Amino acid sequence: MNLARAPHAPAAQPLPVQAGLAAAVRQLRGVKILFPFVVLIAIWWTIQATGNFADRVLVSPERVFDTMVLLISHGVLAEYISTSLTMIGIATVVSILFGVPIGFAVGANRYAARSLEGFLRFLQGVSGIAWLPLIIIWFGFTHTTTLAVVIYTLIVPIIFNTMVGARAIPEHYALALRSLGAGRLRLITDVYLPGALPSIVVGLRLGMGYGWRALIAAEMLVRQGGLGDLIFGARTSGQIDRIIGGMIVIGTLYVLIDRLLVQPIENLTVARWGVLRK
Amino acid sequence: MAAFRPARVRGFGRLAGPNLRRFVAGLLLLAVILFGQQVYGMATANQRLDPSLRGATGPSNVVVVLDFMPERFHNERVSEYGVFAGRDGALNRIRLRMVSPADLRALSDVAWVAHIEPLK
Amino acid sequence: MSVQAPTANNTTHSARRALDRLTWMLVPAAPFLIVLLIWVMATGILHPSKETLPPVTDVIASIHELAVSGQLATNVMASLYRLLLGSVLGIVTGVIGGFIVGLNRKMAETLNPVVVFFNALSGIVWLPLMITWLGIGTALAVFLIWNTVFFIVFQNTVLGVQLVPEVLEQGVRALGAGRMETLRSVTLPGALPYILTGIRSGLGFGWRALIAAELVGAASGLGTMIFDAAEYHRSDIIMSGCLIIGTIAIIMDRWLLLPIERRTVQRWGLVSDAEARR
Repeated sequence: MNLARAPHAPAAQPLPVQAGLAAAVRQLRGVKILFPFVVLIAIWWTIQATGNFADRVLVSPERVFDTMVLLISHGVLAEYISTSLTMIGIATVVSILFGVPIGFAVGANRYAARSLEGFLRFLQGVSGIAWLPLIIIWFGFTHTTTLAVVIYTLIVPIIFNTMVGARAIPEHYALALRSLGAGRLRLITDVYLPGALPSIVVGLRLGMGYGWRALIAAEMLVRQGGLGDLIFGARTSGQIDRIIGGMIVIGTLYVLIDRLLVQPIENLTVARWGVLRK
Repeated sequence: MAAFRPARVRGFGRLAGPNLRRFVAGLLLLAVILFGQQVYGMATANQRLDPSLRGATGPSNVVVVLDFMPERFHNERVSEYGVFAGRDGALNRIRLRMVSPADLRALSDVAWVAHIEPLK
Repeated sequence: MSVQAPTANNTTHSARRALDRLTWMLVPAAPFLIVLLIWVMATGILHPSKETLPPVTDVIASIHELAVSGQLATNVMASLYRLLLGSVLGIVTGVIGGFIVGLNRKMAETLNPVVVFFNALSGIVWLPLMITWLGIGTALAVFLIWNTVFFIVFQNTVLGVQLVPEVLEQGVRALGAGRMETLRSVTLPGALPYILTGIRSGLGFGWRALIAAELVGAASGLGTMIFDAAEYHRSDIIMSGCLIIGTIAIIMDRWLLLPIERRTVQRWGLVSDAEARR
């Protein structure tokens, strides 16, 4: 990241030069990011072209690309992507709405924090997928089941990190504000929330990573749409092109959401309130 | 001419500019991914619907024409708009009966449907 | 007379401290007991079907039965064996790869996008593709575990290697040490805390990935046990399985890995995050 260098140009430097320079840097970075993938695809293409693979085992990159274009134009991909994104979106919102308050509530007390910590670790050890059969018995093969598993996976890191974040806030901040006459609400908005926020956002980012994977896994079993359903379903019909294409979409989507949406939030939170982080 | 957007956003320090830009780009990308095809479908709705079916006030019987061989996915989706009544000569021509005007409008917004013709 | 008072104070003080310590140790059990209580009450008041919520006694009985019939041991051993195999592979490749990439800044930069992408893909997403290539069985499970463990260990190793202060390496070199010698005496101990954290994390994730991997039906293992039980609607076995999975996760982490991490790191007198947190 050339953040340390780009916008800090001295005022004397003329604008067009700076813009040109910045553009060149940006271009270079885009190429740099794509280069290893180009190499990877080249290796893939070579292996497929030289080996004698049946279509069920390995297909060429262009075949995968064509299939993906097909799936897009047939409207299939858009819907499956939409389902998955909606699931992760809802799960994220619900997990934040419930996880953060719980984390704060428990974090306030030493003993409560310690007791919940052990319990959360246990829950984390039992992955959401292990509970899936039971949840299917309760809710059937529905989106509710998928949602339950993803929320379960997402909420634990959020509660955990909220707890840690809340406990890390030095006492004297709250006391200082209290001595100036701040009420409960003011304390929450001005001390506890900002203080714990960097940790919460880190927990959110971690949780979304786990949650996305749990989502794909759940979709594979519940088979009610979504990208997991797409790649798992393609397996039975031996459509390797869809499997590989679907995997690429899954990976790319997650990277996009993480880098373009979640990471900037994390950076901004740390930049603004990161003083209290360590 | 590209506007010079400052990197500093009040209260958020030097890192704010690039991060905000990324976030907005991310939101835009998300919007395109989630709604792009829908919007395209809605924009091209007029070309899809046969003129004789426009402005229908009661249930109609139509043939939904796709320009590819439908998978189970497509059959299921199309069936949501009316009563499935078999094929119309080819696998990519699906007969639907009792399609309400609202459903007809919604069906004409679907991007991957090629044509909607009246059922003769 | 005033000599008496301090003694009395001392005993109550130390008694209270002992009580505090006892509470502190016992408190983690609280959430489990609360859940147990809710479970018993729910069974008693709502009378759900055995399928929806098996009574606690049933679950205990099935655990006992599994243990006695030897099924428990077989399945646990099978799962642990796969975990071990996949993890050892993952750790070895992760550490070696991590060193190679960590020591070479150029390579690290170039490879970064690829690593990020495949990290997003790690684990269960490979399932459909790998079933087609490897079939169902141990190879599949081992691959999935390797995949999960590798990325975590790799990234932590890279981080650890990169964070070793160059000054130390240069100092040793100035005294005449060769490449291998520097690696062995400076880089390795320096990166060790991170490597160990990576191993500990990796094993935790690997264990979870294992259960998900067994969902397609390996021949044996805890995941298989749960999913087989799901077919026959034996919720009590499902519950038992989940509880056992969680327990093993905790045992493995707290009683096996944490002490190893502590002792090895302590031996080299290094400080790591985990150290500071405990």
